[in-house]
Parts: sequence; C-alpha cells; structure tokens
Amino acid sequence: MPSISAAASAPGVPAPRAAALPWYVPAVLVAATCAVVGVIWDISWHRTIGRDTFWTPAHLAIYASGIIAGLSCGWLVLKTTFAGSDAERAAGVRFWGFRGPLGAWLCIWGAMAMIVSAPFDNWWHNAYGLDVKVLSLPHLILALGFTGIQLGAVLMVAALQNRAGGEARYGRLLAYGIGILVLNVAILGFEQIGFSQNAHNALYYLVCAAIFPILLVAGARASSLRWPATTAAVVYVGVTLIMVWVLPLFPATPKLAPVYRPLTHMVPPPFPLLLIVPAVAVDLVMRRFGTGRDWRLSALVGVSFLAVLLVTQWFATIYLISPASESFLFGAQRWNYNSLPGDFEHQFWDIRSDPVTPLKLGFAALLAMTSSRVGLWLGNGLARVQR
Amino acid sequence: MSRAGRLAALAAVVLVASAHIGSPDTYFEGSAGPYRLRVIVRSPGVVPGLAQITVRLLDEGHARTVSVLPVYWDPRTAAPPPPDTARIVSGDSSVYSAALWLMTGGSYSVQVTVAGPAGTGTAIVPVQAIATRRLELQKPLAVGLAAVGAFLFLGMLTIVRAAAREAVLPPGMEPDARRGVIGWVAAGLGGVLLLGAVWGGRGWWNAVDSGFSRQLYHPLASAAAVRLDGGRAVLRFSIVDSAWRQHRVTPLIPDHGHLVHLFLIRDGLDAFAHLHPVFVDSSDFDATLPPLPAGRYRVYADITRESGFAETLSDTITLASPAGAWRMSDPDDAWWMGNGQRATGNVDKLADGSRMTWDRSEAPLVAGQDAPLRFTVAAPGDRPTALEPYMGMAGHLMLTRDDGAVFVHLHPLGTISWAAQQTFLLRGPADTVFGTVGRRLTEMERRGAMTGESVGSTVSFPYAFPRPGHYRLWVQVQRAHRILTAAFDAEVQ
Repeated sequence: MPSISAAASAPGVPAPRAAALPWYVPAVLVAATCAVVGVIWDISWHRTIGRDTFWTPAHLAIYASGIIAGLSCGWLVLKTTFAGSDAERAAGVRFWGFRGPLGAWLCIWGAMAMIVSAPFDNWWHNAYGLDVKVLSLPHLILALGFTGIQLGAVLMVAALQNRAGGEARYGRLLAYGIGILVLNVAILGFEQIGFSQNAHNALYYLVCAAIFPILLVAGARASSLRWPATTAAVVYVGVTLIMVWVLPLFPATPKLAPVYRPLTHMVPPPFPLLLIVPAVAVDLVMRRFGTGRDWRLSALVGVSFLAVLLVTQWFATIYLISPASESFLFGAQRWNYNSLPGDFEHQFWDIRSDPVTPLKLGFAALLAMTSSRVGLWLGNGLARVQR
Repeated sequence: MSRAGRLAALAAVVLVASAHIGSPDTYFEGSAGPYRLRVIVRSPGVVPGLAQITVRLLDEGHARTVSVLPVYWDPRTAAPPPPDTARIVSGDSSVYSAALWLMTGGSYSVQVTVAGPAGTGTAIVPVQAIATRRLELQKPLAVGLAAVGAFLFLGMLTIVRAAAREAVLPPGMEPDARRGVIGWVAAGLGGVLLLGAVWGGRGWWNAVDSGFSRQLYHPLASAAAVRLDGGRAVLRFSIVDSAWRQHRVTPLIPDHGHLVHLFLIRDGLDAFAHLHPVFVDSSDFDATLPPLPAGRYRVYADITRESGFAETLSDTITLASPAGAWRMSDPDDAWWMGNGQRATGNVDKLADGSRMTWDRSEAPLVAGQDAPLRFTVAAPGDRPTALEPYMGMAGHLMLTRDDGAVFVHLHPLGTISWAAQQTFLLRGPADTVFGTVGRRLTEMERRGAMTGESVGSTVSFPYAFPRPGHYRLWVQVQRAHRILTAAFDAEVQ
C-alpha cells in the first residue's frame, strides 16, 4: 500500500474557495445527525412511553434524515447533470447517465432504502406483531439506509477536503461525520455495550474492539486534523451527553402495561463510553508511527486502543453503576417503565457467565487489530477519494 | 414441506386457532354500572398487537366519557397505565372506539368505564391475546418491494463500480481501460457480497416466519375415546397436553358450575349433545352418552383456566349403533336429534310442545355484521311463558358452520366466559398460588351466585358470524325444570 497524504491535493484542479462551504455539506451532515438523534430519541420513547405510532417525533427525526439527504442529493445530481459547470460535472462520477459526487449517490441510495423500509416495517408489524426486538429485517434496512447517508456524507466531505488540499474545516467536518458513525455503531451495539453494567464482562470488550477502531482509525488516517480520532470521540460523547441531559427535561408517562416504575419524564440514554481516552491513544500512536507499515501500525493501534479502553471503562463504570451516579449529570430515572426494580441496577452483569479472562482479552486484541487494519484500508481510500 | 404445503397447513391452523373455533373476536353485552353496553373486540391476530374495541351504549342519553384499559391477568407488582379514552365513531354518537395494546400473549381483562349523568360504571370484558393467523404478503406490496429492492441492488453495484473506477481520479480525468476493469471487478465482488446479504436476509425472514408460525395459538392437546361400560357408552375426554400434565398452565375453574362443557356434533349436523362430564382425575373426564345415532362426531370441550383463559379443545369420535338406556352424568346434560333435513323456517317445536321463534327479518345475515340472534319461546297454544336460568344463563346458543370451521358457544353475555369474568373480579394482588381464585369461585357458585329468577320468554345473544357459509344453531333454554333444545339453520353471506 503506497503511503497516502490526506492533504494531497489533485494537481491542476481548482479547490473550492475557502469561504464557500458547498450548501449540500451542512444538509447531509444534518441528515446524518438527524438519524442518530432520532434513534436515541426513539429508544428513549420505547423505554418511557412504550407505545408509538409512525408519527412520533422520534420517527419523524429518523425519516427526516432520509428526506433531507434524498432531496438535497437528488437536487445536487440533477443540477450537476443538467445545469452544472464543467468543473462540477468533472467532480462527479457517472451513474446511469447522471453525474454527481460519489457520496451523493450513496445518500440517495440510503434515502431510498429508508423509504422502502417504512411500508415493509408496517407490514412486518401486522404480520409478526409490534416491535419486541430492536433488530428486525425492516429495521436493518432502515439502519442500512441511514448508515449509507452517513457514509455518503463522510465521502462528500472527504472528497472536498482532498481537493482543497486538506483544508482544516473539512478535516473537522470529516471527523464530525466519523463521530456520527461512531455513535451509530454504538447505538447498534446498545444491548451489548450500552449499559455500564456490562463493562466487566468479556462480550463488552469484544464488541468495542470490533466496532470502534475501524472508524476511529479510518478517520485518523483520512482527516487532515491533528487529533481526528479524538475529535470524532468528542462528537460521539458530546451528542450522547446532550441527549442524556435534554431528554429528561421532557415530561412523559408510560402508556403500556406492566408499569413497574412510575416515570414522569423521558428516560435518558445510558452515559456514553469514555471513548475520548482511547481515541487520544489512537491519535498518538497514529501520529508517532505515521504512514507506511500499516500492518504493524494496526497491531499497535489495536492493542493500544483496547488497553486504554479497558482501564478507562473498567474503573469509570464502577462509579457509573453506583447509586451516587444517579443524578442529572450522569442520568437519573434511567430504567425502563417495565423493568422490575432490583439489585441488578447496581451490579455488573454476566461477570460469572462471561468473565474477562486473558484468553478473551487476547481475542479482543486480535479483533481490535483486525478492525484497525480494515480502518486503515478505509482511511487510505477516504484520503484518496476526489469526487 | 413445500411453501404451498406450509401455507395450507397454516391456513388450517387459522381455522381452528381461537378460544372458540374460527371466531377470534370477542362479543360482550352487559352493564357498566347504570349503562347497558355492547362491546366488540376485534382480535389483531398477532401478539404483540393492536386490538380494536368498539363500545355501543344501548340506552338513550350520552355518556361523558368512555375509557378502556386492558389489564394482564397476572399484574404482579405493576401499576396499570392510564386508561385510553375511546372516541365517538363518526356518524353515531352512541358508539365509541379505541385501540387496545395487547403486548403479552394470554388472558386480559379489559375494563370498560363509562362516565355520564348517571354516574360512573365499569364492565369487565375478558379478552385473549393470541396469535391466530399468518399474514400473507399482498401482491402489490410484494411487487413494489421487489422493484425497489432490485433498484437498490443495481444502484449499489453501480455505486461500487463508480467508486472503484473513477472516485479516486482527479476531476476531469477519464478512467482508462485498467480502471474500467477494476470497476467491473469491484462490481462483481460487490454483487457476490450483496447476493450473500440478500440470501442471508431471506434466511432470516424465513426463520422469523417459521418461529412465528410455531407460536401460533394451539388449544391444549386432547383426545376423546368411547368405551362400553355396563352396556352404556361412555365418552372419555382427556387433556393430554404436556403443558397441562406438567402443571405449566393454570388449573381449570368451573364455568356455570362445570369444569368442562362437552359438545358432540354429528357429521351432517343432525345430532347434537351438550354434556358435562365428571372428572376421573385432573386430566380425564367421563360422560355417559345419550342414545345418539351411529356416525362420526366432532367433539368440542369448552374449558376456562384460572388465568381467565378460555379455550375450546376438540377431537373426533365414531359411535356405533345407539347404546342402551341413558343414565345422564349430570342433570344439566341434554341432547337433540334432527330429521336430517335442513330447517327452513324461523320456528322450531320444542320437546314439551312449546315453540321457539327466531325473531329475525327477511334481511340476509352478513358475515362481520351484528346478527339478530333473538329467540322467543311460547307455551303450547302460543301462550306466554317464562324461562328459567339454565346453568345460570337465560340461554345457551351453540353454532357451527357445516364444515366445522366455526364452532362457538354463546350466552346472552356474548362470547366471553362467565368464569373468566369472575376471576378478574375475584383475583387479589396476593393471589399468587395456583387454585386460590378457583376455590373462591367454586365457593361463590356453591353459595348460589348463579341461580336466578325467571328470565322472561325471550333470549338474545350478541354476535356476528365470522365468515359466510351454512350454519346450524342450537338454542338451549330451560322451562318448567326441563332443558329444551331448538335448532335453526342460517345462510350467511
């Protein structure tokens, strides 16, 4: 793999003017954000109120992601194809006779997937009952849709950054997009890594090792920032904390039996993982060892990430599961209306059936290395994308 | 099993799967305090699911509010959520409607509360949340999903090809032949991966579908057999289901004074018996058979469990020539034999010379619409008469479609089990031991809570036929200490 500079600018190609942020960039980043905010809101809705319809604000926020991305990128490719300048047309890829940025096509694809998931999901409910599982086939198609939009947004920003010679604001936006993707996978792993009570079992670290390095490392390789992985982790922690603090401000009561907890306000999401600390390690290792010898780098990054994450989460969660943490800052009134109160609230879960052992940690390290290696491949690709 | 075979098997399941048979909706007529009302709960057929409840106020005058609240039979330490206010159905100010969220399979009491000028009253309507049907993917939706799916599949391949071919080229640079090849290779690999994903998705869907099909409601497994005992034919009905024998479900409770109501219907619908077997042990029940004609019989057993879950078990038997003198197992037993002809009129002569008239107009009976099931008994000479409660009810109506796809046992209360309703009234928060509520109910019946005064000469049943077809109805009443059975035929469109 040749070494790639994220800041490499294509020779002879005019970079976008520094003052003019293309209009579609905020649109797709807002779309990417809408989806994760909507999903966190929706999970809170199900944990607080229980019943829902298609028209809940949380669902609307999710689908707004598809609408914003679909309309803005649809307009972008139509304009580029039929009324774009030569430079704009040259900065796109061909798709069935149309032209547009690669990321825009991914956004349109994601929007289509989201739209088709809605009637499918409705039929699914009628056929197999209302949602009792987060992971169903229509929900997976919906998740693929908004994940496609988030990837599309990252691709569009990466292309702009690369064409603009690594301009810092694109680097920041790229890291922001990566942070949204980190939040996205953290939500998908909600059942395994969402609750601090899981932080002393092995599955927690296996899942973290698999899903986080790939994104943090890709971002660190592709973004022109000095602390890209850390910035992405800050976005993940920041958006989650905003939801932790804002959702409980809204009054809500359970509307489904059995009601074991008389909730009065929306349940916040669990406190985020302190991913900033291992992300700093990722940035430091990436910066120290630079480009080239990516296999060695992925091993170093993977092990560093896991080691720092283990120490950070192992000790931080001791406080986070204690009664002392039940406050506005860390999330009070944090359990579902239909979860029977019990001592599980202040215990680590599955520590006997799935303890953290050297063997499992070794396996987690392998996963982290593999994830980092794939992240480097993706990051190299992102650093090269021009259109 | 082929897909078509699987669907046929599932369709068969749908026919038999309900608390009654082939009739999953709940009909109730009664009172909420001072307000008389008729309630219909349309089963969603899935769990968790949304059942639609309709409440019709039968008296003049408007209620201020009608609210509904489904409460699971075993509330443990939970508090119920707030009730839902039913909305007036457009065009009829006496009809209210709401959705019931039934999230757990099993028995619910739906509390229907009416508030108005006369005060506030609540009716308890037992409802069962069971998965009874597998929904087909409608063709327009299937075609639409397939079309968009194909578009997404080809679209993703195009994106992958474009990404590999030209996304890393500086703007304006045309991809050369090498990059063209790279693009096609990437698209090919992407296609393989996508096909794998589609195949995996199909497997997932099939797994969900078969898992759901396995969870469709089935009544407890049962078996019926006939033996000769001292010259008399004795029917043994046994609950053979492992869940029952291993005490994984709540025990039986008496409904109208009997743990089991047994019905025998001869193929051709020309012989019918309503019996009440005595129990030999907790799983086996014996009933001495009346002198029914030989032939093949469908056997239905109505039971109610302590959870309030009422269901109909079924099997078939074949009877030889009529047995000797009948010594009934229970004084509430009764049987009927027709002449093999379909009844055409609205009047049937009863065994004591009185007549029963089905009060209905010439209007056709339509599936899904309220059926006018109102019957009047007149003494010989068309003199007015008074009926007595028969097992605590003004009347019992059993109806079946000629192919056996529908079998329902109705009372003036509707399709609900009276015993189920009582369990919800009798159950307290501390009743965590199996049998407690059943003993309380038995004691209540022993004290005579079911005996009643004269019930007039007319009896009616709230119901709507679930599907078109030929039906036979048997109406049983009691007059002058004698159980009388009338039969009517109905053509439902």
